[in-house]
Amino acid sequence: MENINFIYPEIFIAISILGLLMVGVFKTNSFNLVTKLTSFMFLITIPIVFLNSTVSMKLFSNNYIVDELSSFLKILILGSSAFALFFTDQYIKKNKLDKFEYPVLITTAILGMFVMVSSNNLIGLYLGIELQSLSLYVLASLNRDSTKSTEAGVKYFVLGALSSGLLLYGCSLVYGFTGSTNYYVIAENFSADNIALLFGLVFILIGLAFKISAVPFHMWTPDVYEGAPTSVTAFFALAPKVAGFGAIIRILYIAFGNVFDEWQSILIFISVASMILGAVAAIGQTNIKRLMAYSSISHMGYGLAGLATGINEGVTASVIYIFLYVVMNIGSFACILIMKRKDIYLENIRDLSGLSKNHPLVAFCLTVMLFSLAGIPPLAGFFAKFYIFMAVVKADLIILAVIGLVTSVISAFYYLRIIKIMYFDPEQEKFDPISSKGVKISLALSTLLILFYFLNPSILNFFVNLASKSVQ
Amino acid sequence: MAYLLVFLPLVASFIVGIFGRFLGDKISQLITCSFVLISSALSIYIFSDVAINSNTYNLKIFNWITSGGLVLNWSINIDTLTSVMLVVVTSVSALVHVYSVGYMSHDPDKPRFMSYLSLFTFMMLMLVTSDNFLQLFFGWEGVGLASYLLIGFWYKKPSANSAAIKAFVVNRVGDFGLAIGIFLIFKYTGSINFVDVFKAIPTLLDKNISMLGIEASLISFICIFLFIGAMGKSAQIFLHTWLPDAMEGPTPVSALIHAATMVTAGVFLVVRCSPIFEYSPFVLNIIVLVGATTAFFAGTIGLVQNDIKRVIAYSTCSQLGYMFFAAGLGAYHIAIFHLFTHAFFKALLFLGAGSVIHAFNDEQNMRHMGGVWKKIPYTYSLMIIGTLALTGFPFLSGFFSKDAIIETAYSSTSFFAGYAVTIGVLTAFMTSLYSWRLIFMTFHGTFNNKNISLSKVHESPAVMLVPLLFLALGAIFAGYAFKDYFIGSQFIQFWNNSIFFLKEFVLHHPPLWFLLLTPILVLLAIPLSYYFFVKDKKSLDSFIEINKPLYNFLVNKWYFDELYDFLFVKPAKKIGSFFWKIGDGTIIDGFGPDGLTKLIKSVSNKAVQFQSGFLYHYAFVILIGLSILLTYMMIF
Amino acid sequence: METEFLRDYATILIFLFISIGLGFGFIFVNFLFSPSNPDTEKLSAYECGFEAFSDSRMKFDVRFYLVAILFIIFDLEVAFLFPWAVTLGQLGPLGFWSMMIFLTVLTIGFIYEWKKGALDWE
Repeated sequence: MENINFIYPEIFIAISILGLLMVGVFKTNSFNLVTKLTSFMFLITIPIVFLNSTVSMKLFSNNYIVDELSSFLKILILGSSAFALFFTDQYIKKNKLDKFEYPVLITTAILGMFVMVSSNNLIGLYLGIELQSLSLYVLASLNRDSTKSTEAGVKYFVLGALSSGLLLYGCSLVYGFTGSTNYYVIAENFSADNIALLFGLVFILIGLAFKISAVPFHMWTPDVYEGAPTSVTAFFALAPKVAGFGAIIRILYIAFGNVFDEWQSILIFISVASMILGAVAAIGQTNIKRLMAYSSISHMGYGLAGLATGINEGVTASVIYIFLYVVMNIGSFACILIMKRKDIYLENIRDLSGLSKNHPLVAFCLTVMLFSLAGIPPLAGFFAKFYIFMAVVKADLIILAVIGLVTSVISAFYYLRIIKIMYFDPEQEKFDPISSKGVKISLALSTLLILFYFLNPSILNFFVNLASKSVQ
Repeated sequence: MAYLLVFLPLVASFIVGIFGRFLGDKISQLITCSFVLISSALSIYIFSDVAINSNTYNLKIFNWITSGGLVLNWSINIDTLTSVMLVVVTSVSALVHVYSVGYMSHDPDKPRFMSYLSLFTFMMLMLVTSDNFLQLFFGWEGVGLASYLLIGFWYKKPSANSAAIKAFVVNRVGDFGLAIGIFLIFKYTGSINFVDVFKAIPTLLDKNISMLGIEASLISFICIFLFIGAMGKSAQIFLHTWLPDAMEGPTPVSALIHAATMVTAGVFLVVRCSPIFEYSPFVLNIIVLVGATTAFFAGTIGLVQNDIKRVIAYSTCSQLGYMFFAAGLGAYHIAIFHLFTHAFFKALLFLGAGSVIHAFNDEQNMRHMGGVWKKIPYTYSLMIIGTLALTGFPFLSGFFSKDAIIETAYSSTSFFAGYAVTIGVLTAFMTSLYSWRLIFMTFHGTFNNKNISLSKVHESPAVMLVPLLFLALGAIFAGYAFKDYFIGSQFIQFWNNSIFFLKEFVLHHPPLWFLLLTPILVLLAIPLSYYFFVKDKKSLDSFIEINKPLYNFLVNKWYFDELYDFLFVKPAKKIGSFFWKIGDGTIIDGFGPDGLTKLIKSVSNKAVQFQSGFLYHYAFVILIGLSILLTYMMIF
Repeated sequence: METEFLRDYATILIFLFISIGLGFGFIFVNFLFSPSNPDTEKLSAYECGFEAFSDSRMKFDVRFYLVAILFIIFDLEVAFLFPWAVTLGQLGPLGFWSMMIFLTVLTIGFIYEWKKGALDWE
């Protein structure tokens, strides 16, 4: 109890959720109020997390850890969620999704993610994942009058339950053979000779891979991304990925750190499969949200490639990758939210044709985002990939690097195709004027960051280095 | 000051090239014209300083390349030869800039045009101020580039594009020779700075090398390759085919690049390298042969062309031949003198032709002109001056330079001297003939244009006529005023070691009848051509009818284009299309990019189909993945 | 030690095999001996001699599920409360307040669903 001040962020969020729920339910038409309160709460929470960002504390008998890594990821989660909430307000209202539960559910999911990245215990991990996932299932089917949205929710729920089951089964195996759910104790007692333990490892890894939609546990992603309301999709693409990565880093490098050789090949397999499928399957897409789904699958592959190195540079590279991935996705989804004609939001890539003539600035921003996603220098996406490949080569995984490069070339194709459509295809009717301040600000901020990241990459590297050191 | 002189055109080109769209036409023209005018004023000052007071400059701009034994500087090297070229380049360039303001007044892309012109001027200055072969080569390629851009300026015209490409490719053949020459020089002298190379050459006289199975002296090889470079740039026979086609460019370009400056770069190169050429009598003989042949051949073609600009182009070709055979005979200073005077009257003729074309609303065919000398009196009289100067009418500038060349040939002991004399006299006659034919067909006779009525033919604006006036002054007085300096008794002091003479250059005075022969022939040509082209066209037609094969031979430009088409272009196209269709298309693309993209596309389609939307399929995939990983764990 | 531990479960394993074997065995024997000559009459659904009026899969009011789910939550709450109440003496203040917090959270949930009208049938 003595160190309870280190989990003030979590406590604060938990109390806020209860409070927000009560405010929401007692006031009529409370969406605006609750959204404002939630944003305000985010603003308060970020400095609280930031205050703890330089300490490394083990709480509750080593079962809950607050360190640089968790703080960095928590800030990233909070920031990206804030953007997700911020730039979708208009979309929510236009689509009559303005129920106050929406911000509350996002907050609940954030609480789950906080637990995921901080937990040093299998039970804590599971609770965090479930808290996050249950909120996400509901969010996916937020638009309950739409078949697509409810279908997405059900699919996500059933498959998520399946993966949770696998994860839980893995946990029980590991617990059964090591006698503890605490990562440190697991690391002590884990023996690579015991096949059952390795099975447990595989099950846990699969459960987590599902959460970050790595191949072959990605099947839900395109359908859910497409079916869910765009605002929710944007959120899906941002925060849960960060949290999933945090959980994977912690469990792999702490609980299973001694058996690196055993899980490295699994990670390489998942990473390669994600990169290839993400690159190849995206080519045939016509729906931009589906395309973003495949894009995020392939980006997860790159992130995992960094983790598969087992060296500090790899972890650093992965965390940088995730950070920049989040920034690029904020920009991209802001652009998707601009695609609106006569108050109807559009999702087809064709609708972008001739954008450069109607909205040159938006077209430019989206071009920057897409170039960056494709990894073209000197944009930030290039550096993200560059660090990953550096680490991968340093760890002597040349083949992984080669596959990564080849798939990034393939994926450049579909990013460039969008650019081609924007710049060279016949122009269509103009989109509605952008009235949402959130979209404008998010787009401007992310574009600037991606454009000018190369001026001083070391700022981010400094923080990430601090963070990734804490798991070594 | 020399810095200013050289870099002002570059600055102008940059400003106008990049910001031209924002500056607008007027300001763009103002910037380029004023900058180049300043340049030309400076060049005259430098000329008086260098040529009259016998100073030389070598200003190092910065160290360019230091690689092993290769040490190169960007520098501005000014001696008498360079200063003469500076005057020619900048003054003609400045006049052409001003003229272009009027000539291009209907063109939408004025800033681009002015920027190219200034760029060309800068490159030409780089070429002539170089103190080493590489900077010279840089300028050499630079003017080639500018020429390409300017010939293809009207890029919407397919003929202009193909002419630009042709000029570039044919020049490439020459550049190839020049590059090999430079390589040889570097290999055997270890330097490509002019001073070092010229110092080293006399020590290599006895060296023989074998190349392409031919064994010959090193000096000869170097000279022949350098001369091939010069032939390409100066449109000598075999590599001349691009010059007439280059007339597709705007007329000011023809005047600046294809008459006064760039095409004379070859002559400049030979003169600049006189310390090398002097040691190779064999190559000098070849130069005489090629130069004389070009003079004659281009003259014959000029006789029958109907495009006003092409006539002048062939005339240029022919005059360049004069310069070359003068250089080949060892009379480098006379070659440069002719270059100097030729720049004025040829630019005058071109710009005059431009004025005529302008007057006829872009009509270039002489058969569609005629009878307008009263309508455009200024242009007419200026053209007459240019023609008189070109044909070597006594006491105009062409008279001094051209007759000096012919006299040199008469008194020379070179192997081809006799040939050169005959050709020289004959060509002078032909020059007069075709020049007057041009005048008569264009200005006299009956009005033959169907597109525009006689009353609509109008005189050009002052902005075009004033440069013509200046050039006319040059065409009249340049020869008389400078002949003492350039080729007079004091020429050794004037050139001040910038030209090398192995043996003392002596000019025997030929007998009086020979001195009078050329002017008389030239004068005779005037009534002759008046008779044929104005008075009695019937007799001309019957004359053509009798000599039909010869006429066709000339009209088709000695069938050079057809020959090259057959020898080089068609086989190259065939080889190209073989590699393109079979090599590249089928083999490389088939297995490379196309095959891969097809594979990726089909895989992509599979992957998309895989996404069936059925929940149990998805769950199944998860379980398959699970079992694969578990199996992997069990086996390894 | 491990093998001993597993040996204790050996009987269960054996029992499992036998029961599975028996189950499949009976089905197999059924297939083997039963006469099988179906016709349309036999294959149609049997419903007191009538033709089936409608699809046997009936639509249900979703509120049944809702009530069931809510019931489970509060049922579980009681399942937690029971052991807590028994051992409250040993748990001390920490245990007491923990349960209080838990109950508060549940109560807030309860208030929410009440206000939302989840408990109203109409």
